[in-house]
Amino acid sequence: MLTKIAGGDIIDPVNGRVGKGDLWIRDDKIIAAPVGGAADRTIDAAGCIVMAGAIDIHSHIGGGNVNTARLLLPEQHAAHQERPVTTPLSNAGWSTFQTGCLYAKMGFTTVVEPAMSPGAALHTHLELADIPIIDKATLAILGNDDFLLSMIRDDASSQMIEDYVAWTVASTRALGVKVINAGAAAAFKENVRTFSLDDVVPSYGVSSRKIVKTLQAAVDSLGVPHPLHVHCNNLGSPGSADTAAATIAAAEGLPLHLAHLQFYGYGTEGKRKFSSAAARLAELVNATPEVTIDIGQVMFGQTVTVSSDVMRQFSARGSAQPKKSVIHDGDGNGGGIVPYSYGKDFYGAMQWAIGLELFLLIDDPWRVFFTTDHPNGAPFTAYPALFELLMSREARTEMIARLPKSAMALSTLAAIDREYTFEEIAVMTRASPAKLLGLTDRGHLGAGAIADIAVYRRDGNIAKMLGQAAYVFKDGDLVVQDGEITHYRWGKALRLNPSPDKAMVRRLEDYHQQRYGLSLDWFNFPDSAIAREQPFGEVACRT
Amino acid sequence: MAVAWIGNRETLVERAAAHAAALLGSSRCPVFSLDTDIHGTRAAIALAERVGAAYDHADSAAVSRETALFTDKGAMTVAPGEARRRADVVVIVGELPQIHHQFVSELSATVPDLSAKNQREIFLVGSNGASAPPLNNGRTATLLSCGEASLGATLAALRAQWKGRQTSQPVSNFDDFTKALEAAHFPVFLFSGDATEGLALEMLQGLITDLNRKSRASGLHLPASENGWGSALASTWMTGFPLRTGFARGVPEFDPWRYDVARMIADGEADLHLRISSSIVQPQKKKNRMALIALAKTEEPIAGAAVTIAIGEAGVDHEAVVYSSRTGSLRSIDARAASELPSAATVIRLVASHVSAEAALPC
Ligand SMILES: [Zn+2]
Repeated sequence: MLTKIAGGDIIDPVNGRVGKGDLWIRDDKIIAAPVGGAADRTIDAAGCIVMAGAIDIHSHIGGGNVNTARLLLPEQHAAHQERPVTTPLSNAGWSTFQTGCLYAKMGFTTVVEPAMSPGAALHTHLELADIPIIDKATLAILGNDDFLLSMIRDDASSQMIEDYVAWTVASTRALGVKVINAGAAAAFKENVRTFSLDDVVPSYGVSSRKIVKTLQAAVDSLGVPHPLHVHCNNLGSPGSADTAAATIAAAEGLPLHLAHLQFYGYGTEGKRKFSSAAARLAELVNATPEVTIDIGQVMFGQTVTVSSDVMRQFSARGSAQPKKSVIHDGDGNGGGIVPYSYGKDFYGAMQWAIGLELFLLIDDPWRVFFTTDHPNGAPFTAYPALFELLMSREARTEMIARLPKSAMALSTLAAIDREYTFEEIAVMTRASPAKLLGLTDRGHLGAGAIADIAVYRRDGNIAKMLGQAAYVFKDGDLVVQDGEITHYRWGKALRLNPSPDKAMVRRLEDYHQQRYGLSLDWFNFPDSAIAREQPFGEVACRT
Repeated sequence: MAVAWIGNRETLVERAAAHAAALLGSSRCPVFSLDTDIHGTRAAIALAERVGAAYDHADSAAVSRETALFTDKGAMTVAPGEARRRADVVVIVGELPQIHHQFVSELSATVPDLSAKNQREIFLVGSNGASAPPLNNGRTATLLSCGEASLGATLAALRAQWKGRQTSQPVSNFDDFTKALEAAHFPVFLFSGDATEGLALEMLQGLITDLNRKSRASGLHLPASENGWGSALASTWMTGFPLRTGFARGVPEFDPWRYDVARMIADGEADLHLRISSSIVQPQKKKNRMALIALAKTEEPIAGAAVTIAIGEAGVDHEAVVYSSRTGSLRSIDARAASELPSAATVIRLVASHVSAEAALPC
């Protein structure tokens, strides 16, 4: 089928194409304008902007901890809409089905679940497979697991460590590797309650820094396209900017991605000893080209924090609203679920401002990524409002006026003029995520790219415009019209597939037998376990 | 071999499925009870939405108590692998279901390799007559009891005594317990919703919270039913809610009293019961002329069922995904003795294909 998206304003920074024109799709791919071709279907995009489908690199959309959060808070996601006829279960609040639909309506076509516990890989992929329309991917968590920590303690060769990382990525069907408060979850099991970059996990004598550096090197050497994804130590605490600064410095020339930097943008000034250190961190990011970051923007309202940083979540239990939480000591990281409401009080306002400062003070839209760390800073449904804040100084000024002056005095936000352009939005939410994840087939509108396309009708109300796409195509299927889902299709989970080293597999078999009393079969699964046609799409490692 | 019946009459699977669909289509209040694998659960929930049914586990009292712990209060939990590798004190809380006895015996036969203490002490909380699952090497668990007091009351006393408060009846062997906890690095409490009142689970979590003020401790959730907990997890991601969810009003609603399927049947609210279980279950007592559709591993029609369709057993007749309490997560299992018998999911999808609708079932 030949489709022509006619007369839209095309914004495709990767291919340097900006301006009015047509975009052609044959079946599931974007093609160059065919000579004398007659379209089977023409979409009138006059008055619209046309971009590639958006990509979210860090959103907790599925897996053990997310599901536990659903279980903990049934009162928070009652459904209200009628039973959908064409998209079953999509009205179910916070279900996998609703997740795919809500993302698609905003023009997002690929979303990365950034915290897959290797032991719960099958569970995670089953949830992702029930997220309709969009493509998904996962990052496998390492860095608190006994196997890795023991290898580092015992000075295992970098080859062996790479073999283990490759096996983990391959067997869990991950697209990359994440380390979450490296070493802290292991230390917490030994009753350590705070943990910093140069602290040492007691039984292993291995520092957090050493774990991060080891994994960073392994990921780079294996050619995993996405750099090691780091959730730093000391998340959320006043003064955590020092930890983030030290971690940025620890990149030392190799690629490193820091997740939800907003949660580390905290200084210790003012009478509450809580202030914005965003300007300092932005300057460091600007000066460190090998580092990329995403924000984890806070937006006001009720949410729930879902994190594999079990030590941090344990210490945050007292702030739970409503007063209930789950803390799980897992095989590696485990995790914690703590519901929380961001109010327009001093602290909430400070966090909100810090995220925006980071967005606006980091110069290069190729190195700053658009996230709320869903649902930790805010649910992803806050994205349209967040786009508006980035693109409109006026919108920011209005909100600032409603926030405590004491907080705004400790932030530079009010003085920042910058407004993101649509081109910068296209870079930040399309081009750069594709590049960061090694997905050459998306994030742009060049011939040969998969036809993941979002068409937005221009509107003075940016939140409305970017919140309800006029048209969305996924792999060439028209899935959204006028902000409504038209039908389901089933995307893939994108994964790497490095071949595991046989000696490492034998070693792991022995390890599981000895330590868990179980063979490795208990943790492996065939693709058929997912029970969907082609549940996975393979992405190549760098060679 | 016959695989489908309408009443007592043998028929083609296709016809039985069409008849089941017709019954579902005309039912005013259909209810589903599940004892099946993950994909069976997914298919059943998708069908439940389409026909406006409520669904629950087939033997749901314990699953419901375990669910309520999470929905109402939250918990501190530990993975079974970590319990095996780290627990230097194991406390068995009440009677554990038979399916977990093997693991308990394994705990008693091994020592925690990630603990500085190379041994494991084992306690049992319960009334005087309580017995632990058989332990290895002739070991016995030290009993912590308050005579005939209930489990909840015993746990309350244990918690109070730990905090240094007076209790009306002291817990037996409390000094041993204190000594063990004081030396412990990572005590783990094994609990299940089986034979444990909900308040006891909350009281246990209170004790674990108290212990964590000074030192680490956690609870290992050993579900009363692995299928039940697996279904609860799948239901939670699919609808946002655990079991005892209903689609009577078109949207999923979670109500642990209203959608208690056994209650709905006993009170005569349900007029159609779809029972999905590879094992053969005795028909439940009921007030009205409720119709039964039975999906079961059977070679003959189920007594009293309007429709019977034979299904295979997960992990025996076909590969499956199930909850494993041994790993604390979902697990893929091969068919031990692969057969032609279809999975529950396959049969449910076949039934659903006969219910008129505009879109395909999403699972
Ligand atoms: Zn996150």
